[in-house]
Formats: sequence, C-alpha cells, structure tokens
Amino acid sequence: MTDLRDLAVPTRPDPDLVGMLTELFDDYRSARVAPTEVVDLDGDLWRRLDGLGLTRLTGSEAAGGSGGGWLEAAALLGIAAGAAAPVPLAEHDVLGGWLLEAAGLANDGGLRTVCRPDPSGVALNVTWARDASSIVALWEDRDDWRVVDVPVDRVGIEERRNLAGEPSDTVEFDLGDLEAGVVVAHEIGEQFHLRGALARCAQVVGAMERIVEVTVDHARERTQFGRPIGRFQAVQNLVADVAAETALARAATDTAVARAAASDWRDPGMLFAVAVAKSCAGHSASVVVRNAHQVLGAIGTTLEHELHTLTKPILARRSEYGSLHEWDETLTALAASAGHDRLWSLVTTGRAAPRRPH
Amino acid sequence: MTRSMVPSVATEGPVLTELRLEVRAFLAEQIAAGAFVPHVDTWLTRWDRDFTRELGRRGWLGMVIPTEYGGQGRTYLERFVVTEELLVVGAPVAAHWVAERQIGPSLLRYGTEEQKHAFLPGISRGELTFGIGMSEPDSGSDLASVRTRAEQVEGGWRLTGTKVWTSGAHEADAFFALARSAPPDAAHRHDGLSQFIVDLRAPGVTIRPIISMAGDHHFNEVHLDGVFVPDDRVLGELGSGWSQVTSELGFERSGPERVLSTFPLLATAAQAMDDGRLPTDVGLGRHVARVAGLHQMSFAVSTALEAHENADTAAAVVKLLGTTEEGEIADYVDTLTASGWALDEELDTLLHAAILQRPGFTLRGGTNEILRGVIARGLGMR
Repeated sequence: MTDLRDLAVPTRPDPDLVGMLTELFDDYRSARVAPTEVVDLDGDLWRRLDGLGLTRLTGSEAAGGSGGGWLEAAALLGIAAGAAAPVPLAEHDVLGGWLLEAAGLANDGGLRTVCRPDPSGVALNVTWARDASSIVALWEDRDDWRVVDVPVDRVGIEERRNLAGEPSDTVEFDLGDLEAGVVVAHEIGEQFHLRGALARCAQVVGAMERIVEVTVDHARERTQFGRPIGRFQAVQNLVADVAAETALARAATDTAVARAAASDWRDPGMLFAVAVAKSCAGHSASVVVRNAHQVLGAIGTTLEHELHTLTKPILARRSEYGSLHEWDETLTALAASAGHDRLWSLVTTGRAAPRRPH
Repeated sequence: MTRSMVPSVATEGPVLTELRLEVRAFLAEQIAAGAFVPHVDTWLTRWDRDFTRELGRRGWLGMVIPTEYGGQGRTYLERFVVTEELLVVGAPVAAHWVAERQIGPSLLRYGTEEQKHAFLPGISRGELTFGIGMSEPDSGSDLASVRTRAEQVEGGWRLTGTKVWTSGAHEADAFFALARSAPPDAAHRHDGLSQFIVDLRAPGVTIRPIISMAGDHHFNEVHLDGVFVPDDRVLGELGSGWSQVTSELGFERSGPERVLSTFPLLATAAQAMDDGRLPTDVGLGRHVARVAGLHQMSFAVSTALEAHENADTAAAVVKLLGTTEEGEIADYVDTLTASGWALDEELDTLLHAAILQRPGFTLRGGTNEILRGVIARGLGMR
C-alpha cells in the first residue's frame, strides 16, 4: 500500500501556535468594551503582541523577527481578524517587514505601515498611516522597483477612514525620498500585490469563521414562536450557506497559503492561486455578510452588536489589493489563454501546461 | 480548534501527479482517435462498455479493490485523480460508475468472501456493471419510507416492489435493492431495511424506461414481482440496510462528479472566449476560481477520508456548493450566447445538454435542501 504522505500532504499551521493565538484573541474579544463607530489602533494590544514576538512573526531571526512563515502568518492574521483586533499585523510585519528585509534596510521595530505611491508620490487608502512611526513605500520608478522607509514626519497625511472605520489615510511623499529608495528585484515588486491580496484573504476568512459562530449561536439562542429560530428550515438554510461559503473561501485561501509557504512564493502558480483565493473569498463575502445580517435580525444592525465589527472589515478588505472585478479579469485572461485543452492544468497546478504539438 | 468545517487543505504528491499525466495523455489519444466524443454529465449520460473495459485493462478500475479480488490495491486518492481526469474531458464513464463508486466499496465492507470473489474481479475488469435501487415512487428524500418488501422463503427471499431512477438498469447486470425485510416500526423507522444483490435478468424483473426531458433514456423503473434472491445474495446484516447505505455517503458526496459534470462546457467556453466566438466576460474567471476552490476542498475532504477522519459535514458542503456551481456554469454560458448570430455546433451541443441535465445535479444523491439540513445538524442547529 502506498504511504499516504506520498499521495497528499495535509498542510496546517502548528496546532500549539494556533491554540495559543486562539486563546489570546478570545480573551481579547471577551474583555473588549462595546464596539465603536471609529476604530483606532489598540496600543495596549500592540505592545502585548510585541512582547510575545507576534508583531515580527515573519521576520527572520537574524533581523530580530520570530522566523515564522506564511502558514503561521495567515493563522495569526485570521485569528486576529476574528476578534476584530485593530492592529496592523499585515501592514507592519507581513508586508512592511518583508519589504524592508528584501531591500536590506534596517528595521528598528517601530510601527510600520506600507503602501505603493503613484508616480506623483501619492498613496491612497493607506491603513494605519497616522499611527506609524515610518512608512515603507514600494515605488515603481520607470523600470525599477524601489523600497524606502520614510519617517512619518517627512510625509503629508490626510486622515480618512475606510468602511470599517479604520484609519485609511492619504499619504503624500517627497519624490526625492522615493527616488532615494533601494532598488529591489522585480519579483519583489510583483509579489507585493499578491502578498497583500493573500493577507487580506486570510483576514476575510478569519472574520467569516467568527461570523459562523456568531450566527449559529444566535440561531440557537434567539427564541420566536416558542422555539429557537434555528429550528426553522428557512433560517437553517441561511446559516448553512454562511458556513458553506466560508468553507470554500477557507479552502481557496489555505491552498494559496500552502503553496506560498512551500515554495517561498516561487511557485509559478502563485498568481492563479492568489486570484482564486481573492475571487472565492470576495464572492463568498457577499453571501456571508448578507445572510448573517438576515439571521441576526435588527439587533445585528446596531453599533453595540459584534456583527458589524466583522462584516464591515470583510467588505473593506475584499476591495484592497485589487478589486474583485480586477481579480476576476486576471482569472478570465488566464483561463482564456489556457483554452480548452489546458484549462484543467491551470485549475490543478495554477499554470497551463505547454501546448501539445499537433 | 474546530472552527473550520473543512479538513486541512492538502498538497498533491508526485504519485498522484504522475498518475494524472498518464491518464491525461491516454485520454488525449482516445479523443484524437475518435474513440469518444466529449460530452457533459457523462457519468450519467454516456454508457460505453468498450471504453470501460479499456480502463479496466489499464488498471484504472477497481483501484481501491485489493489485488486478491482482482483489483489494483491502490487508494481512494488515486481513484480520485483518475476520476477527475475522466470527467474533465467528458469521457464515457457511466457503465462502470455505480459499480466503482458504490458497489465495490460496499462489497468490500459488507460482502461475504464468496460475494467478493464473485463480483469484484468482474467489476475491476469493467465487465460487470451495476445499478442502484434505492428510490421508489413514494420514497425520494425520505428513503426510510421504502415499501419494497422482502419476504423470507425457503433458501432465500422474494422481493416485490418498484424502484425508480435506476440509472442504466436496462444495460446493467445487477443492482443493489434496498427493501423492507421486517415490518415498519414507527419508533425506529430506519430498522428492518436490508440490502439485496439482485440479478436484473432474473424472472420477475421488469425494466421500463423513464425518458428524461432531453428525450434520453438513462433512468429506469425497475419492477420486482416476487423476484427470488438466494440467501447468499443478502448484503451484510439483515436489518442493517440503512446504516450500510448511509455509511459511504462521504465518498459519494464529496467526489469530483459533484463539481465537474459541466467542466467540458466551461473549457469549451474558455476557448471560445479566446477565439472571439464568445464575448470576453469576467464571469469566466469567477467560475474558474470557484471550480478551483471546490477542487481543492474536494481533495481536502478525500485526503481526510483516506486518513479515516470523519468529514461528513464537509462532504455535504462540497456537494451543496459543487452541484450548484456546475449548474451555474451552464446558466452562465447560456447568458453569453446569442441565437441567430452564429452557429457553434460544439458549444451548442454541450450547452443544451448541460442546461437540460442541470436540474438533476442538485437533486441526485441528496437534494440541496437535504444537504443544508445535514450542514445545519453539523453546526448543532438540529
């Protein structure tokens, strides 16, 4: 009999880490006071995570990080998102820390966010910019990609907020600062968008899984017509679809994360894998958000209820690092160019096998 | 942590990838040689004993059947990739489908040594074909209400009743019939059911076609009028029919046929978009992403089942989303085509067949309404 591990290798993050993170963020969520309309950085939580080595989870140990990979990073992002924790884990560590290390720039541990300014030096919707000590910019300078770490007192910040009420500022750089950036390999510039998109998927899925819990709990506890509303098939159907769509988004996201972790993002199928995750998670979000609000009823629409702390970030994040439409366009182009004979190869490996000579 | 309903995703190992490429190359040759014309929903609609026997010769049938019974002694995951490769090109697989998916595994689990030796080698060669007799005119989703009676007689049983929706009964050699061997007990309605291995050529068996709305003959009504079944053709324990037929549902529900029935249409549409025969539209990417996500989820569930983990709820999720998606693909491609503008024989043939087969996707093997109930139960709501 063939050994199972020669056939398929299940990929999961370290269960001890997952257990520790789950407990930490469950505690955080239960201790939290009522949700607010605007969501500001939670400095106490950030310092606590910093003390645990979680704010530099993916940094190399040589650079003062914890040496974690994408499996661990995705677990942390998802579990934190399930607690609606207002901390810039994706921006500071997974994206900013990675860019600094790739460019060989020092990382003093101060809070970072990250962005891609346009040719005029302006970046829109930069999450947590006002809270950062400096901003890591990836800049496309003609044929080169440059990375620069700009102290926040050297940029102009116009404060704005996203749908979730989080800081999502407009940042204006001095072009001279950007031009002084370190030139990095092209693959860094190309990977940034993919890494950002997949980080958002991990957050979206983490929030969805908490929504499943909230929705199931409500359906079991809320009584109408003398029975829990979860006993009605119409309600069961809504909740079943929430759970099913969440499961699909989870599978697509975890597949991309597993490929990223196994190949350190070198797998030629990464573009497809991330696009699949972004498309599945984004379309599933429509059903999950809609059905959860329907099941929760009027109470779920109030500021005091937890639900909007999950649904609003999901909708905010599915539009970051490329709209759903853009990712679907990417997939359409890949699928059409694979054509009839190679579409299945694209689906299974993320790349279309070479055409067979006719 | 049990927050996720899906088992861990899994990375395909080299054994499976090599097997895929081997099967894929064979199928490309077969298509080039005109051995079959690709179609949709072929696990119901394309019965081809020659093709089935050829698969048997190549060792791609009876894959999970041990070699001592004439099988290949391989794994469910290997069978999974072979199945995927066959479905995505629309190969004619109906003749061996039921025997491969349900009959073989059930015989292995519940059959006597004599039954295994009698049937498994023929199934593995693709020479012995089977149907399934579960539903009845008054028993669809509520399977426990079946009324076909099995009365004990000397040396065996006499079965009387009517089974419906039996795919391929007019071609198959035998079928498994679920029948009531003890009177119904309202308090324990799943008790008293048994499974019988019935020769479809036996005296008292009448097979009538049920023609589909596409005008095709795949389904049958099988009438049993006192059909004699010897004692040695009872499957498993008398009275345990219910647990026997439900125990293999994980494999049945999470299989690639719950996602890929219309993949040949999707592939043809992708080509048509590239050629400019269909307008470029982002819906293609959305559907390809969903199929890819479902392929990954289905593979994860199969990996868990191979490792003997329980994945019943996850399997219901795969079937619910997968059968919906394969139907959505048909509807989506239909929205892109314009009548009276151009003739596209290949696309039209696949599209029309897909549209007409679609209603069955979300009905067979447990309706989506039943599956949502299964998922709700898995979530602790029932």
